[in-house]
Amino acid sequence: MSSEQNTGSEVAGQVPMIELRHVEKHFGDLHVLRDINLKVGKGEVLVVIGPSGSGKSTMCRTINRLETIDSGEILIDGKPLPEEGRELAAARAELGMVFQSFNLFAHRTILDNVTMGPIEVQGVPRKEAEESAMALLERVGVAEQAAKVPAQLSGGQQQRVAIARSLAMHPKAMMFDEPTSALDPEMINEVLEVMVELARGGMTMVVVTHEMSFARRVANRVVFMADGTIMEEGSPDEFFDHPTTERARDFLDSIKGH
Amino acid sequence: MSAQTTSMRDALYEAPGPKTRRRILIGTVIAGILVCLLVFLVVRQFYVTGQLSPKYWSFFTRPTTWRFLWDGFLGTLKVAAVAGAISLVLGLVLMLCRTSHLKALNVPARIVIEFFRGVPSLLLVYFFFLVVPQYGIKMSSFWMITLPVGLAASGVLAEVFRAGVNAVPKGQVEAAMSLGMRPSKITFKIVLPQAIRFVIPSLISQFVVVVKDTTVAYVVSYPDLLQNARVLISNYDALVSTYFVIAVIYIIVNYLINRAAVTVSRRTGVKIIK
Ligand SMILES: Nc1ncnc2c1ncn2[C@@H]1O[C@H](COP(=O)(O)OP(=O)(O)OP(=O)(O)O)[C@@H](O)[C@H]1O
Ligand SMILES: [Mg+2]
Repeated sequence: MSSEQNTGSEVAGQVPMIELRHVEKHFGDLHVLRDINLKVGKGEVLVVIGPSGSGKSTMCRTINRLETIDSGEILIDGKPLPEEGRELAAARAELGMVFQSFNLFAHRTILDNVTMGPIEVQGVPRKEAEESAMALLERVGVAEQAAKVPAQLSGGQQQRVAIARSLAMHPKAMMFDEPTSALDPEMINEVLEVMVELARGGMTMVVVTHEMSFARRVANRVVFMADGTIMEEGSPDEFFDHPTTERARDFLDSIKGH
Repeated sequence: MSAQTTSMRDALYEAPGPKTRRRILIGTVIAGILVCLLVFLVVRQFYVTGQLSPKYWSFFTRPTTWRFLWDGFLGTLKVAAVAGAISLVLGLVLMLCRTSHLKALNVPARIVIEFFRGVPSLLLVYFFFLVVPQYGIKMSSFWMITLPVGLAASGVLAEVFRAGVNAVPKGQVEAAMSLGMRPSKITFKIVLPQAIRFVIPSLISQFVVVVKDTTVAYVVSYPDLLQNARVLISNYDALVSTYFVIAVIYIIVNYLINRAAVTVSRRTGVKIIK
């Protein structure tokens, strides 16, 4: 899919890659997701932004059911997300997830981290898996580290490996939950560059991030969340330059201050 | 939450710092002084009561004595090694059942673990020695000591393994789930390998308990180190000297095991879970 097709979910007749309908979620008494309705088109890059505790991570994690939902519907490529078992595992295999804290498998080498999914889940022969893993590691610029274990890599390198690990599964879409917020400032760009390249390559992406430059460069749409609801959405330039809600204005002021 | 898991992992990998090392050193010195003092008092008491007289000690110069003790020592090692192996396998199985979501597995596992942990191994030995044969089950004395010791240790090891599993950061499991791995794969490929790494030092130090438990072998007349020592005692009428030598051997063996645990613990920066 080329970047010219990145026109978002509004394309007529196209089934959205990810769709949330009336999604509700509580943590005990806390109402974290309130009637969330969201469509992410094929090849679309959606940036989710909002204050701490607004439910961004939770929403992101419901998409591959790392968090269950109380009610509502989640559709992946038009099909309801399975609730359990083999079908759920298969659905997850088609969705990449990149975590704030990388979560590389601490006991395995970088190469093993990337081949684990293809070998264990998709049954790809080891040799083949290793060849494509090396190509991916090359692509994200950490091929020389293949034999090391995660603890020996910098945060930026680990996060790039985590992206390669997800890509190895040839996902239909990828979720990123604050992929750069655990990184030292000088490492943020190396990770963002990889993500920009992915976006330009037509990957469907949901990215929770406060990196405005990234959002302006590649996002098709920005969604602003607060108190568990989607308060505002629009193109990056619209949203960042002319936010319509008071909450969004306050929030943008607070992050621009840094 | 994710930040918390990272710091938990850091804490687990943390090597002993200068303070900890100094505390270990101070502890060692104090313990050393106390031991010397104790040895002095004991030896003096022996001297006073005539226990140092050659007739109680001379048989230790004979090779046959040592060969006999060596046989006993091998017996002890054999029981300890097999009981240790049993407890590792059973402990792991019990832990897996205990952490299962199936009530039919985790409730019985919990009861079994608590039972093995709570019942003194001596009682378990008596059970295999006195009760089991009444049901027509014939067992060699080796199994009558090895099984109960292994069972008792498996209860403890199940809990040690569980502590190890709990120490694996949640993010590891989430990452595996998001790759589409099934629960059993996640357990065996992601969680257990890391959990076992976390508990290796604790497992080694638990082996000391197993070695000490083997000393109840006399109940079933299995020729372990202590049983053979008792034979020496009755042959030479030399209770204090023999027990003294035996105690030293046990202490050295268990000291070496503990050293191994500490060394592994320091190398890997993993704490010993008691
Ligand atoms: N497992 C959980 N159990 C209970 N409450 C939770 C859990 N996870 C998150 N919460 C709460 O739900 C709310 C939303 O959390 P969430 O992590 O989705 O926010 P967020 O928008 O990602 O915030 P941040 O920018 O800090 O990451 C917060 O108040 C949080 O404390
Ligand atoms: Mg979050």
